[in-house]
Amino acid sequence: MAELPPFANEPVLELRRAAVRAQLSDALARLDQQLPLSVPVMIGGDSRSGEELLSTDPGDPDRVIARCPRASESDVAEAVATARRARGDWGMRPAKERAAALLAAAQWLRERRLELAALEVRECAKPWREADSDVCEAIDFLEYYARGAIELDRGAALLQVPGERNELDYFPRGVAAVISPWNFPLAIACGMTAGALATGNTVVLKPAEQSPGCALPLVQALRAGGVPADALALLPGEGDAGAALVRHPDVATIVFTGSLPVGLEIVRAAAEPADGQREIKRVVAELGGKNCVIVDADADLDEAVPGIVSSAFAYAGQKCSAAARVLVHEAIADQLIERVAGAVRVLVVGHAQELETEVPPVIESSAQERVARYAELAASQGRIAVRVEPVPDRGWFCPPTVATDLPPDSPVLAEEIFGPLLAIDRVRDVEHACDVVDGLRFALTGGLFARDPATVRYVRRRTPVGNLYVNRGITGAMVGRQPFGGNRLSGTGSKAGGPDYLRQFVEPRAVSENTMRHGLVV
Amino acid sequence: MTGVSVDPASIDRDELERHIREIGGELAAAFPSSARHPMRALDARAMDFASSDQQLKAALFRFVDVTPACRSLDDLARHLRDLLEEVPEAPPPIAAAMRIAHTRAGRTALGAAAAAGVKHMAHRFIVAESPAEALAGLRALWDRGVASSVDLLGEATVTEPEADHYANRCDEALEQIATASPRWASRPTLEADSSGPIPRANVSVKISALTPLLRADAPERGRRDAAGRLRPLLRHARELGAHVHIDMESLDSREAVLELVLELLIEPEFLEGPSAGLVLQAYLRDSPDQAARILEWARTSPRSSPLQVRLVKGAYWDHELVQARQHGWPTPVFEVKAECDRNFEELTVRLLQSRPAVRVAIASHNLRSVANAIAASRMLGGEDRDLELQVLRGLGDELQDALASLGMRVRTYCPVGDLVAGMAYLVRRLLENTSNESFLSEQARGTPLEVLLAAP
Repeated sequence: MAELPPFANEPVLELRRAAVRAQLSDALARLDQQLPLSVPVMIGGDSRSGEELLSTDPGDPDRVIARCPRASESDVAEAVATARRARGDWGMRPAKERAAALLAAAQWLRERRLELAALEVRECAKPWREADSDVCEAIDFLEYYARGAIELDRGAALLQVPGERNELDYFPRGVAAVISPWNFPLAIACGMTAGALATGNTVVLKPAEQSPGCALPLVQALRAGGVPADALALLPGEGDAGAALVRHPDVATIVFTGSLPVGLEIVRAAAEPADGQREIKRVVAELGGKNCVIVDADADLDEAVPGIVSSAFAYAGQKCSAAARVLVHEAIADQLIERVAGAVRVLVVGHAQELETEVPPVIESSAQERVARYAELAASQGRIAVRVEPVPDRGWFCPPTVATDLPPDSPVLAEEIFGPLLAIDRVRDVEHACDVVDGLRFALTGGLFARDPATVRYVRRRTPVGNLYVNRGITGAMVGRQPFGGNRLSGTGSKAGGPDYLRQFVEPRAVSENTMRHGLVV
Repeated sequence: MTGVSVDPASIDRDELERHIREIGGELAAAFPSSARHPMRALDARAMDFASSDQQLKAALFRFVDVTPACRSLDDLARHLRDLLEEVPEAPPPIAAAMRIAHTRAGRTALGAAAAAGVKHMAHRFIVAESPAEALAGLRALWDRGVASSVDLLGEATVTEPEADHYANRCDEALEQIATASPRWASRPTLEADSSGPIPRANVSVKISALTPLLRADAPERGRRDAAGRLRPLLRHARELGAHVHIDMESLDSREAVLELVLELLIEPEFLEGPSAGLVLQAYLRDSPDQAARILEWARTSPRSSPLQVRLVKGAYWDHELVQARQHGWPTPVFEVKAECDRNFEELTVRLLQSRPAVRVAIASHNLRSVANAIAASRMLGGEDRDLELQVLRGLGDELQDALASLGMRVRTYCPVGDLVAGMAYLVRRLLENTSNESFLSEQARGTPLEVLLAAP
């Protein structure tokens, strides 16, 4: 393989151009003709279809997007056994060959990017712009990890003294179980899978039950690109399949993105060795957040207001990185609250396929109920600055809401809501804001709007978040530019799309060879 | 890029170049001597100082930008100190300022000095805090033979009440200027061309301030919302006999703005007025296509008064470049200044050839671009009154006076608003003024006239 050009992010669609926008409705129409998709259990060369599980359009719950079987314990056992057998082949291939398969998969996705975005619009109610970004991010992960794996394969430099040769190399850990979420249905599943495959592991992928349709093209892309069928299994299913995977003695690495309770359950289960287990399971987990945006008195509100509103309400707040709280300096709090409320009041709540939509429905009815519960609590404990009503009846819509004046111990201020509900608190100053952030269990993303460099330095030092964004929105991490992942209970500190990510999928082995033969260095 | 076809029969290149040199020379000779403006010379030195060091320049611009948000002189001085600490090798005067900023009394003194400095600079670019206070300044310009267009500065519009507030301010400005301007002395050059009378009252309007709903990906909704506020302004301008000029902003809003203006102006109620105009940005690679679209519209327009097209280079160059780079998009603007200058000249000729379907305003501080417009207009057989030149308050003051003294119609774009509101605008102007390739900084460095007037 020729030398790869340096990594560059896949350009998102330039939707400000009418000709580019015009392609979208055709792509959606082409997709609609194929619906519902059938997503089989895929293990090696075998596949088994079924109709036990359905995914539906959150904006039109009668529209079925994908049908799939529910993976059973025996599917899990077979998939892991097949993946374990495949380690010898895939894991021993040169890094460049594995990288080539990832790059070919990236190209496969690129050629279908509009249809894939359309699928996210339907299955996950991702508005076009966000759906397109997700497809691009999936491509980015493939391109980035392909390069990273080649780099990692060079090993690490060690101290060398006369008479010995010291080498440190990285080898695949074995079978990785990838349990992916629905909110970035292609990108996150792709990133976790590609990271494992690039480094020579084999993968059993269990996608979220809400978005199996989006997982299918990922597996198709990787297999079409050259990943052996045995090295990548697809198990559509529910929590029990995920739990069985986590407990399986032959799974060496568990890669999970999802909620905190499930993440902690996985950590607990992985810590309990099963009979026949030969590795200490490693858990790579990306969990929740309660992300705060600090607004100092010298902030440029013309930038802060749109940044806050899009961070909190785009994709109905269903991003791990989304803004959940604003901590605003009391000197400008009234002004900020008024402007944020005014900007939220004009948000378009609507269906994902409409380009005007800014706040789509949430993923499912239980999410709608959860958000409504927190909104009621916010109304009873504090003041509602704005609630955008009415919202469409059909579909799992939630009114975008801004709450203020909540008591410090309110659950609305501490728990992850994962919906279009933003809480704004007044703080005395930035130090006070940092104390609040420091008191939280989560530490995923954070924001700061301030124009004094000393303030920026102070907040950098004080905030434990994995991703701090200064004078900009706090979502939309780009591969290679904003390695993404949180600290504390937000995750294991893995940084997707960053230079350290692949190390989690490998075991280091050092070799020291004596090069002295009968007094001569040979 | 789509090439602009200039009919070679209509303009002889060599002759055009001769005329450009001649007119350029006349204009340069008519520039007032800077010795008569001691404050100007001071500003020029300050600008030069700041431009020489990129990091210092960045720090000072960031300081200007944050000034309105500072709550006290102490706060102001603290920001200045913290920003200057980022500059690795501060020149001696800056280092002295930083030393005194470590005591409270020192900060108060430094803050007061800095606040006065920023205010002084802001006043160079901003005519007055309100339209009522601007009237005296507009009249003084008129008396010197200079027309004006008032631009109301403000914070970004993110809510409906902010959009309403901006629309009200525009409406009041129209009313106040249209009420006061009939008392101004007669200035035939400024108030008529071959197509008929030209309004004295002239207000420039930003669509992004008329609606909080502009979205690059979905322009229709913002357009509808802005139309609801633009129509009453157009009606009022028609009643008052005033001109409404729609500004162009970043590429993100261009489609919405252009569609909105071209659609509204041919609604039946606006066929007989008001006088109106829009903007063509020559730094955009696809500006020739935009020009074609506008000119086609103008040729078939049933309106009684011609659309005025203001040709500008464009003020969002950095923004467009950075946005395109961050997204991996093709750069929508010319990256080489000479290409942009050539396009500007080609579009100038094309617009001039399209008279009388359009009224042509050439807005530039580049002596060569301005001389080209005058020369081409004359060679195409146009009268001087059928070409308008426009400059920015604070940046084009000398050119403005030189053009007026040669009997050309010149209009100065006059920002009005308080310092807080004006700061974003101000910083943009400052960046443009101190960019290394800017014509004004070339001129200020004493680049010889023949170089300034050379074909791009």
